[in-house]
Amino acid sequence: MKALWFLIPLYLLPLLIRSDVVLTVLIFTFVLGILAIGFNIVFGGAGQLTMFHAAAFGVGSYVTFLSMLHFSIPFWLGYLVAVLIVVLISIVIGWICFKFRLKEFYFAVVTLAFAELFRLVALNWTSMTNGTLGMLVLEKPTVWLPGSGVIKIEETVPWYFLTLISLTGILIFSALLMRSWIGRNFSAIRLNEDLAQTLGIDTFRYKLLAFTISNVIASFAGALYGFYTGYIEPAYLAVAQSLDAIAMVLLGGVSTILGPVVGALVLTSLPHLIELPAEMRVAVYGMILILVILLMPRGIVGLAAGLVKRRAHAS
Amino acid sequence: MTQVVVGQILNGIILGSLYGIIALGVTMTFGITGIVNFALGQFMMIGAYATWYFTDLAMFPFPVAVVFAVALAAVAGLIADQALFRFTRNNLVNGLLVSIGLISVMESGALLLFTTTPKNMDIVIAGSWSLGAITLPRMKVVAFLLLVAVIGLTWLGLSRAWLGRATRAYAQNPEAAMLMGVPTKVLQTGVVVYSCALAGFGGALYASLFSLEPSLGGLFILKGVEAAILAGVGNLLGALAGGVILGVTESVGSQPLPSAFRDAYGLVFLVAILLFRPAGLFGGQK
Amino acid sequence: MKSLFKGCFAAALLAAAVPDFAGAQTATVKLGQIEAQTGPNAIYGYMSSQGVPIAVDEVNKAGGFKVGDTTYKLELIALDTRGDPKEATIQLKKLLEQDKVRFVFGPFLSNVFVTIFPYAKQFNGKFLMLGGGTRIHDFVGQPGNEFVIRTWNWDAGPKGFGEKMVDYLIKTAHPKKVAMLFQNDQGGKVLGDIYAPIFKARGIETMTEYFEPGTKDFSPVLAKIAEFRPDYLFPGYSDAALYDIVRQSVEGNYSKKFFLVRGSTGPGLKNKDGIEDYIVYVPKDFEEAEKKEPKVKHFVDAYKAFYKRDFPYDQAPLCSSSCYDHVYMLIAAMQKAGTVDDVGKIRAALLSMTYQGMWKISFDDRSEQVFDFDIVHLKKGGTKEVVHVEP
Repeated sequence: MKALWFLIPLYLLPLLIRSDVVLTVLIFTFVLGILAIGFNIVFGGAGQLTMFHAAAFGVGSYVTFLSMLHFSIPFWLGYLVAVLIVVLISIVIGWICFKFRLKEFYFAVVTLAFAELFRLVALNWTSMTNGTLGMLVLEKPTVWLPGSGVIKIEETVPWYFLTLISLTGILIFSALLMRSWIGRNFSAIRLNEDLAQTLGIDTFRYKLLAFTISNVIASFAGALYGFYTGYIEPAYLAVAQSLDAIAMVLLGGVSTILGPVVGALVLTSLPHLIELPAEMRVAVYGMILILVILLMPRGIVGLAAGLVKRRAHAS
Repeated sequence: MTQVVVGQILNGIILGSLYGIIALGVTMTFGITGIVNFALGQFMMIGAYATWYFTDLAMFPFPVAVVFAVALAAVAGLIADQALFRFTRNNLVNGLLVSIGLISVMESGALLLFTTTPKNMDIVIAGSWSLGAITLPRMKVVAFLLLVAVIGLTWLGLSRAWLGRATRAYAQNPEAAMLMGVPTKVLQTGVVVYSCALAGFGGALYASLFSLEPSLGGLFILKGVEAAILAGVGNLLGALAGGVILGVTESVGSQPLPSAFRDAYGLVFLVAILLFRPAGLFGGQK
Repeated sequence: MKSLFKGCFAAALLAAAVPDFAGAQTATVKLGQIEAQTGPNAIYGYMSSQGVPIAVDEVNKAGGFKVGDTTYKLELIALDTRGDPKEATIQLKKLLEQDKVRFVFGPFLSNVFVTIFPYAKQFNGKFLMLGGGTRIHDFVGQPGNEFVIRTWNWDAGPKGFGEKMVDYLIKTAHPKKVAMLFQNDQGGKVLGDIYAPIFKARGIETMTEYFEPGTKDFSPVLAKIAEFRPDYLFPGYSDAALYDIVRQSVEGNYSKKFFLVRGSTGPGLKNKDGIEDYIVYVPKDFEEAEKKEPKVKHFVDAYKAFYKRDFPYDQAPLCSSSCYDHVYMLIAAMQKAGTVDDVGKIRAALLSMTYQGMWKISFDDRSEQVFDFDIVHLKKGGTKEVVHVEP
């Protein structure tokens, strides 16, 4: 919970900085941070490397928007529909994978295959999704505030707070989850699945739970992302999106609470801080990934936590 | 219609041999170093661009260019191994992530050097052979034969030559092999370098058939990994078979069904195989 | 006395110099550019991003341009979107809010445009966006969207170059069946929507197949198309795929007659011994034009001098959109309107003028560009015939 203190300055930021650019970069950071946290629950928590979160991300966007469009319901109800669908998909795919006892690498490949299949469906089901042309999202989420009534989230500052509050909520949820007995079971599975099984933990059920929760969170990020950018396209479900999230988690610190957010912050703002030709940017991104794996396996947060501990011991 | 299907089966077999050589690299690396080298596609790209460069720009004869290209891919593989993969032996996740990082670096390198504009090598062997209504471009057939030859030689080497037998012994039982004096570090590096050379060779032949873009590595590694898993990771000759099956499924599947879904057919097939025979079609053997 | 004299003399010189100094003060006009310079779809942003700096450099080296009494220089802020709509959003914000740019070149990519449109629209009346993206067609010319101008000609419609291309095809080849093979994305789908009706209206039977971007092996889809026995194959849309399609179609004995509205002569020339017919729309055949048109030669030479590398003949035609000519055209519009700030006046001036650069550019009533183009007709063996069309 100490991690949450870091969020306080972010709430005060809009009062100090007027720059729309900074706020925009932070909005993207928050939304992608939510995606990264989702991934961290199933990977950093339960130890399952999944490549499906981009698909959940995309499904979140598409279903929320399509429900709003076809059923004329507000954003949050539309998102509820998306949650139901994502849960259903996660249970089906998770059941297939875990029942067949797919390990590590094969699990990653099969989730990747499924994600690709979903992307191809989004790409080709043109009557529903407008295929590759994507869909323009003109609707906005509405929020009820005491005093102001129902307001539409359209300008940068309202979006900033909506996404920041959402991120805070998800962070608290993930912290509570990982500390609870459910989270501890996840960790047991991650550290040694066979041992966990012998100890009486129903690994199948917990892996399925982790997978589902992760995808639901990813779909939330997707809904926010789609409505913020105002555009939804099949590329949201692509492998690259999954890899981005993985990079964020690794950079920030696997299995830490704040890690995914830190990673999201660094990777989202980096292209704007360093003015490099674009090809170099991708190269730098790759090098960061490599360096993190080889030199900083615990990520930024892990490194920082380690330093703090060492200082505490030294004094 | 049958002629179309037969034609597509043949096309799928040829394309499959290209997938197969990558699959072979994937499977060898996994068996010996315990990681899946996703960056193999990039070494294929190195081989392809190098071949194009040496043939079209430096004006070497094609076979000479290929030799140089393979050597270049091998050297690159050596550098990658010593600088990176050496530290991720048997750590699947780390190896995966490092390869992804490497992919970004190498792809941007290619972008800087060559830009996204596709490069087309001058045609090496023109013309086609026709058998009835089935036409096969000559270069495709030649490429196929060369790929099968190399894969076959690799398999032979692994079953006859001493280094080959040592490799297989190590794959089956690392500790025992070490006790028997098998130089493991050299072996692991050697396998990484060899698989990169294989990928480079695949790339060289690719360049003679298709246009080159920096992103070609990404497409082929995915297919290579699919093919390797299909056959059973660790099964060497099976890698070729896996590639061929994948190639044929894609080509033939596109006929009755929408071709836009082409990549999906291989995926669906793969998922099905993994669920019912997780060890792969030929798994269990080494 | 002498020193006083010297002092006065010096002061006089200084006094004489100062007004000159003030008079020579140049203001700057900022130009923004958001194109995909790199990334998988960079082909479409690349040439625009290459051409504009050459023009800006030329203008500045010549001392700038004059509007009214003031001489202005140009400052170019070119940002690489990499084809990523998210990047483009942030970059456009930066251009409009931080750099306070009033003229933005780009985007050429439809999916980028669609994403930045809602934000850009908020600045309607405060800036001009000159982009070539196909999807811009759906937005341009409508009330509230005055800020956007499309800098490429449209296939369909009375001045549509597509209609003229098809007319030419019918005149020279009288085909009965045409098979279309497009990329399964933005540009490809739009092409299918545009051309199917055009062919149908002329009584030509068509079929359409789509391939995934990044496909290299076209054999399966070509075999499928061959069953239809088309007279002409109409593939699209960038050279990336065209080289492979044309080569494989020729080698596999599928189709040897090609009709193209996107792409270059490159694939046809590379396979010149295998093709039977190759009809392609090029905004300009640069190799020929360089020899005959002084402005084209000037551009080619300027490019080589500026970048110190070979001229990319196969990509050059895309400089017909938001590229070199447009910088000069914009300057001409500013001079005609008499202002560099009043966006409305400049827009009106731009839309009402005809500018003769490498192309003869004007705008139709939808704020879409109309310019002359070439049809290159290649036959077996590589013989080339260039037909110039003025819509």
